[in-house]
Amino acid sequence: MSPAIQALGFGVVTAGVLAPAAVGISMQFAITNIFNIAMGSQLTLAAFIGYEVNHAGATIWLAMAIAGLFTGVTSVLLNRGLFQPFLRRGTTFFGILVVGIALLLILQYTAQAIWGPSFFSYTFSQGAQLQWGSLTFTRAQLVILGISVVAMGGVHALLAHTRFGKAMRATASDSDLASSCGIRTELVTDVTWFVSGTLCGIGGVALGMTLGAFSTSLGSTFLLEIIAAAILGGIGQAYGAMVGALIIGIVAEESALALSSAYSQVSAFVILVVVLLVRPQGIFPGVARSRGLAG
Amino acid sequence: MNWSFFVTTMIVYTVTSTIACWGLDLQFGYTGVLNFSFIIFEAAGAYTASILTLGSPTAASNVAQQNYFFGANLPFPLPWLAAIVVGGLLGLLVGVIALRRLRGDYEAIVMLVVSLTASYLVISNIGFLNGSAGLALIPSPLQATVGLSTSGYTWFYAGVTALAGIVVYWVVRRITQSPLGRALRSVRENERAAEALGRDAVRLRLLVFAVGGGMGALAGAILVGFINAWSPGAWGFPETFTLFAAIIVGGQANMGGVALGAFLVPGLIFQGVLFLPQIGAPGFVDSLQWILSGVLILLFMWFRPAGVLPERRRRLSKLASRGGAAGSEA
Repeated sequence: MSPAIQALGFGVVTAGVLAPAAVGISMQFAITNIFNIAMGSQLTLAAFIGYEVNHAGATIWLAMAIAGLFTGVTSVLLNRGLFQPFLRRGTTFFGILVVGIALLLILQYTAQAIWGPSFFSYTFSQGAQLQWGSLTFTRAQLVILGISVVAMGGVHALLAHTRFGKAMRATASDSDLASSCGIRTELVTDVTWFVSGTLCGIGGVALGMTLGAFSTSLGSTFLLEIIAAAILGGIGQAYGAMVGALIIGIVAEESALALSSAYSQVSAFVILVVVLLVRPQGIFPGVARSRGLAG
Repeated sequence: MNWSFFVTTMIVYTVTSTIACWGLDLQFGYTGVLNFSFIIFEAAGAYTASILTLGSPTAASNVAQQNYFFGANLPFPLPWLAAIVVGGLLGLLVGVIALRRLRGDYEAIVMLVVSLTASYLVISNIGFLNGSAGLALIPSPLQATVGLSTSGYTWFYAGVTALAGIVVYWVVRRITQSPLGRALRSVRENERAAEALGRDAVRLRLLVFAVGGGMGALAGAILVGFINAWSPGAWGFPETFTLFAAIIVGGQANMGGVALGAFLVPGLIFQGVLFLPQIGAPGFVDSLQWILSGVLILLFMWFRPAGVLPERRRRLSKLASRGGAAGSEA
C-alpha cells in the first residue's frame, strides 16, 4: 500500500512539472489558434539557459525565473517574427504546423550544436526529507510543486478575475468579433505567448531539477506527456490541461511502480489512445468541439 | 575516397528516400493528410525484413546474441513483401485510431505522439527488437547467390534498388492518374464537397495510410539490406521531417519534384555530407544538417510553397475534349 501512496505523491510532483508546459501549449492554441509544437525544444533551451545561469553562480530559483523570462520573451518574438507573418500570408493551419516543426528542428539542433550530447545537472540542494504519513518529499520537490500551484493559480486569476483575462477569453472564442469590440487582440496575443512561454520555461528548469541529469533530448522526451496532458484535458482548455497533467503524472508513476519505469512514457500514450477512441474531444470539450477538431 | 562506395550509397539512399517520400506524398501532397509518424512505417519494414532474414533468435547462427521475438530465414523477395504487408497493416491500425474522428491538424499532433511512443515501446522491451542497441549483422539479400565481390555486390544492390524504385513509380502513377487519384485530390481540396459527391473521405484516407505505409516499409526493408543494421537511433521522430523537407523543397504532388527533393535533402544533405571531412565536435555536423533542413522548410514555405517543381494542374476541358474525340483512349 505504502509504495502505491508514495508513487501517488511522485505522480503529483510529476504533474506539477508537466502542468505549466501543458497549460502553456493549450492556452496558445485556445487564444491564438496556433499549436506550437516547437514548445518541446523551447523547453530544452529553457533548461539550458537555466543551467548557464545556475553555473554562473545564481541560485536555481533565480535561474528558473530568468529561464522563464527568456522563454517568454523569445516566444513573443517567435510569434511576431515567424508565425504571424505566415498567418498574414494566408498559410493554412497545416502550413503553420509545418512551420512549427521547422522551428522545432532549428531550436532543438541549435541546442545540440552548442551543448553536445552530454548530460548536465543543476547545482542545488534537495533540502531535508519531509515525511507526511507514508509520503516522503524533498524540500526541492515541494517548492517545485508550490511554484507550479502558484503559477496555475496565477493563470486562473488572470483568466477568471481580470478584465484582461476576459479579453483573452473573448479572443479565444471569436478573435474577429473581439477585435471589432475594441479588444486589442494583438496585445492579447503577445501576452498569451509571453505567459505560455514563461510557463514553459519554468517547466523546463523544473523538469531538469526533477530528473537530476538531462541532455538536449529533454524536450522531445517530454513532448509526449505534455501533449498527452493537453489533449486529455481537452485541447485549448487551461484547466483541462491541469487535470490532464495530474492524471498523466499519477498514472505514469503508478505504472512505473506496477510494471517498470520504462513504461511510464508508454502509459501516457495508452491513456491517449483510449481518450482518442472514446472521447477524442478530451475531458473538457469546449474548444475541440467548437472548432470541429474532434467529435 | 572510395568513389564506387560513394556512388552506390547515394543511389541506395536516394532511391529508398524517394520511395518513402512518394508514399508520404501520397498522403500529404495528394490527399492532404499530415502523417508525422511516417518514419515508424519505414522502421516497421526494416525490422520485418531483418527478423525474416536473421533466422531464429535461438539458433546457433545468432552469434551476436541479439534478442528478438521472432525470427525466420526466408528467401528473397519474401522479406520485402512481408515488410510491405506489415507496413500496410500498421497503417490501417494507426489510421483507425487517429483518422476516424479527428480533424487533420489535430490528427497530425496525435501522429507525432504515435511516433514518440513507438520508439519508447521498442527501446523499453529489449526482448522485442533488441531495444536501443538494435539489430545488427542483418544479411544482405541474395549476396551468397549472386556470388559477386563486395564492390560488385553493392552495384548489384543499387541496381535492384533502382528497379524497385521504377516499380513503385509505376504503381503510384497508376493510383494518382486514375479516378482514385482524382478522388484523393478532391478530399484534399474540399472534404465536404467530396463527401457530398459520394466520396468516403475516411476510407480514402485509410487507404493512403495503408498504401503509403507499405511504401515506407518497403523503403526501410531495402535500406536495411544495404546497411545491415537497424536501431531506434535510425528512426527518431525528427527523421519524418527530413522526408517532409524533401517533399516541400521538391514539390508536393509532383513525383519528379519529390524525387529531386529526396536527392537533395535525405540524399545530399544527410548522406553526401558524411563523405566530406568532418568538422567540429562529434555530432556537430549532424546538428547542422538538421538546422539546415529546418531552415530549408521555412525558406520554401515562405518563398516557394509549391516547391521547385510544382504540381501540374489538370485541365478538365482538355481531358473532356480528348475523351470526346476518342473513346478509343481506353
